[in-house]
Amino acid sequence: MKEEFFDSIVIGAGHAGCEAALALARTGNKTLLLTISLDAIGFLACNPSIGGTAKGQLVAEVDALGGEMGVVADKTAIQIRMLNKGKGPAVQSLRAQIDKNEYHSQMKKSLEDEQNLFVRQGEAISIELEGDYKKVTTHLGLVYKAKSVVFATGVYLKSEIIIGESREFVGPNGFKNSSKLSESLLDLGIKLLRFKTGTPVRLHARSVDYSVMELQEGDEDIAPFSYLTEEKVKNKSVCYLTYTTKETHEIIKNNLDKAPAISGEIKGVGPRYCPSIETKVVRFADKERHQLFLEPEALDTQELYLQGFSTSMPADIQYDMVRSVIGLQEAEIMRDAYAIEYDCIEPTQLSPTLELKNIKGLFFAGQINGTSGYEEAAAQGIVAGINASLYNQNKEQLVLKRSDGYIGVLIDDIVTKGTNEPYRMMTSRAEYRLLLRQDNADVRLTEIGRRVGLVSDVRYQRYLKKQERLKAIELQLEQKIKLDSELVDFFVTNGETAPRESLKLRDMMRRNNIDIYKISEKYDMFKNEPKDLLDVVNTKIKYEGYLKQQQEEVDRMLANEEIVIPEGFDYLSVKGIRQEAIEKLNEIKPLNLGQASRISGVSPADISVLSILIKRK
Amino acid sequence: MIFIKNYTAIEESVNSNLLIFFGLRCYNINMETIVGISTPLGKGAISIVRMTGKKALDIALKFFTSKNLNKEIVKPRYMYFGRISLEQGLEECLMVYFKAPFSFTGEDIVEFQVHGGVLLAQKVMEKCLACGAKLAEAGEFSKRAFLNGKITLDKAEAIIGEINAETEGELKSSLQITNGKLAEKVLQEQEKLKYLLAEIEVGMDYPDEVEELNLKFNVFDRLKEIQEENAKILKVSESASYLKNGIKVAIVGKTNVGKSSLMNALLGEDRAIVTDIQGTTRDSVTESFLHNGIKINLIDTAGIRQTEDVVESIGIEKSKHALNHCDIVLFVLDGSQEFLEEDKQIYKLIKEKAHIVVVNKIDKLRKLKGFENEIEVSAIESKNIERLKNCIVEKVLKEEIDFNSVVLTNERQLAILKEAQDIIAEVLSKKDETLDVLSMLIKALWQTLGKITGNTENEDIIDLIFSKFCLGK
Repeated sequence: MKEEFFDSIVIGAGHAGCEAALALARTGNKTLLLTISLDAIGFLACNPSIGGTAKGQLVAEVDALGGEMGVVADKTAIQIRMLNKGKGPAVQSLRAQIDKNEYHSQMKKSLEDEQNLFVRQGEAISIELEGDYKKVTTHLGLVYKAKSVVFATGVYLKSEIIIGESREFVGPNGFKNSSKLSESLLDLGIKLLRFKTGTPVRLHARSVDYSVMELQEGDEDIAPFSYLTEEKVKNKSVCYLTYTTKETHEIIKNNLDKAPAISGEIKGVGPRYCPSIETKVVRFADKERHQLFLEPEALDTQELYLQGFSTSMPADIQYDMVRSVIGLQEAEIMRDAYAIEYDCIEPTQLSPTLELKNIKGLFFAGQINGTSGYEEAAAQGIVAGINASLYNQNKEQLVLKRSDGYIGVLIDDIVTKGTNEPYRMMTSRAEYRLLLRQDNADVRLTEIGRRVGLVSDVRYQRYLKKQERLKAIELQLEQKIKLDSELVDFFVTNGETAPRESLKLRDMMRRNNIDIYKISEKYDMFKNEPKDLLDVVNTKIKYEGYLKQQQEEVDRMLANEEIVIPEGFDYLSVKGIRQEAIEKLNEIKPLNLGQASRISGVSPADISVLSILIKRK
Repeated sequence: MIFIKNYTAIEESVNSNLLIFFGLRCYNINMETIVGISTPLGKGAISIVRMTGKKALDIALKFFTSKNLNKEIVKPRYMYFGRISLEQGLEECLMVYFKAPFSFTGEDIVEFQVHGGVLLAQKVMEKCLACGAKLAEAGEFSKRAFLNGKITLDKAEAIIGEINAETEGELKSSLQITNGKLAEKVLQEQEKLKYLLAEIEVGMDYPDEVEELNLKFNVFDRLKEIQEENAKILKVSESASYLKNGIKVAIVGKTNVGKSSLMNALLGEDRAIVTDIQGTTRDSVTESFLHNGIKINLIDTAGIRQTEDVVESIGIEKSKHALNHCDIVLFVLDGSQEFLEEDKQIYKLIKEKAHIVVVNKIDKLRKLKGFENEIEVSAIESKNIERLKNCIVEKVLKEEIDFNSVVLTNERQLAILKEAQDIIAEVLSKKDETLDVLSMLIKALWQTLGKITGNTENEDIIDLIFSKFCLGK
């Protein structure tokens, strides 16, 4: 039989697979990207948007490492908003409505243009280990071999779409699913879970009465996702806000026996943060209405995505439900809402490098790891790609820490604690939130991306230049201003008490009502600097004390992170650690004391004892 | 075999972290300076507060002064006599500095020796905490000694035992506390904070869910409530130190009201063997006894046993001294007599202090007018003596203490609660800050209280967000 050899094979071309494949190819690996359908590359199977709280940070981080998601999102965005503008820099996140057709095409083009990357349609049905090589066989009997394999199969493993009593053995949006690969994973001793998620109906735009809905427009003058994008995103479309009615809730309540999610027909574990509308009505019975957003799917289609209306009710009931919503009395449904069940792996089987602990050279990224969301997938994809590349080169692998970025938080959470529902990133999950801002993702990660060879010269030069400009701005703020009536005036008119002595511009910014923009205006400075650079400096100075405080916490955390637990450490024979903790430690096999301390069920005393045991070995 | 490089890049400290990244890391480089009371509580004439870590000396010199001390060149292994500045004033103490690696832990160590009694040692420890030290974990001093190679391999087992024993001890005390009202209150506070956090967080993580966004209560009002509750807990907990040191009781009254017989009646069969009583070194105690496990010290009101004529013969000045050094006064009256000028004089002295009016000799015909909250006893017939004992304890320890929980709090928990108060004060002074900062501080507060209750799982907040709010697509 004919065999083809690659450095790496990536299975799946969703958001995780694309990043993994590009990371591998760009770091010099001959890479095969195997996908069930070329038409499903970079497909936004659910909402037509990228970013949002915490997710915007993830996109910025993927970008800072040299990833593709931000670049393509910027190219294909049709509306952009900065969320949480009034709530502080730590939680500000970018969210863009995306033209999903364009996104798919542009991402596909990025893949096709990549020198070392071979994009191939085909369903992987088995994975076998052959010495140093991994052997992947397709449904047509083609055989590919590589040193490493990245699994990024999304929700395709044995997926079933459920609408009322209908159960179809297909992938998202009716694409073909992956029916055999699960068995192959089980054969390798990998533990699988069954999760579920869902998507709402798509409506025809002409059938919607916008006049009774609330218009939601984009923000102007917002910096894009990618540090490579030079132009600001233009807003080309709008969204609308509407609400369910009492009637909607009545219809749902009267048909609960037909709802697979409620009746127990669906066994998979669904996410709490993304409940179906029937779950919302049952669980929050006192709420008289639920808000829904209408989002355009793309510029070249009339399809609208009805956010907040995910359901697995029978199609005829969906029809009634939709038509009971304000402004949707005449709505034409184009695609039905559905729930989808799928296999994923228990993520605690992975090391923080996203490599399987038991089988070297096998990496996992995206929804197959029990996460949810395009951005979460891309974030894991790039890390899995980088590490598969480092593995191929026999180099030390990359672990992003919780203090490096949301990516670090995400991976550490799933591999250390596991998850019992599709894991969604939230800013609340990041303990060093003030440090992990969207505006400093490059400072945090671009050097790392450069070191692993993923950050291009163009990106790196741009990064260095930006840092220089930031330094120049800061330097100018060192300027001391003499105490005179003019200075006093400046303070007083801004509602601040007059200063007692001459002071530096940057020290003025410690006052609540004085920021870099007022200084820039008053002293006629920084006229040519873009707002986003000034924002960075403003945040850095205004939040200096808190940033230092968090940095100290980080340093404390890092101390434990540096104490490596030897590979193959024998937990089962140690004395002095409680049995419960021994079992957990043995299961997770943490890399270091820091990771060990985050395992639930492991106490500080256990960690203390463990530190002694490590030293003794 | 795969080696994992730990990449780090945070803010502008990329370069310094690169050093860590490439360099070898020795165990003690990043270890924090920790502090603990190393003498068993209430079991010695002096208490030792010990700090270990790189910053130990810096911290110590922030509040310790001595004539012999040149802050630039502190002599190791030299005992400095000096003073520590504490809130209540200067306290005498001894300080010794051990320079790394010639110390028990192999790190810099500073030890303070203070007068016996837990209160002072605790204050010194709190001072260290306030100046940047962290509370030592169970067995942490020994652990560091081991990690720094100061203790040989064969001792490792013993240290593991020490860690587990101390943890168990703490666990036990916090379990007991769980039954008590204090822990209940801390739990309640934490619960309130959790709701507060969930509301703030949900607004930040789901800004589009506009309907959910209104904060249901004012953050600062909530924090103030908690601050007040904490202040109460601290007050009560401080009274709990009576449990370790005993309650000091002064018996006063004019001649022949029966002070001596009252004293004997109180001592009764519970009479303790009086030798050296800790925590009260500056007070001369004649007798003490145990009541419900709490030590009650009867302090010598100027030789009450030698002469019955306290006020007459020794004079008011001496009585004053005794009164100033007790926790509560038993003002004894003769129920068979009227309230005379002499009684009035003494009453004037004590009425501002915590006191109990004890009407003695109720075995005789009562002539004395009634007093509010008086307790009638007969010292001779030992009548109502138990009631009086209860009354003493209740009055001193206030109503809030649950007498069934033996251990109310330990110095560690007190220190944690004080840390929490500091954070609240900080938040209250930062009303103009953005939500992300406020939430960071409130989370720190929640986690600090969690060190008492054991609830510090961030996942709890996220769970609450999802159970309380209706979110998502």
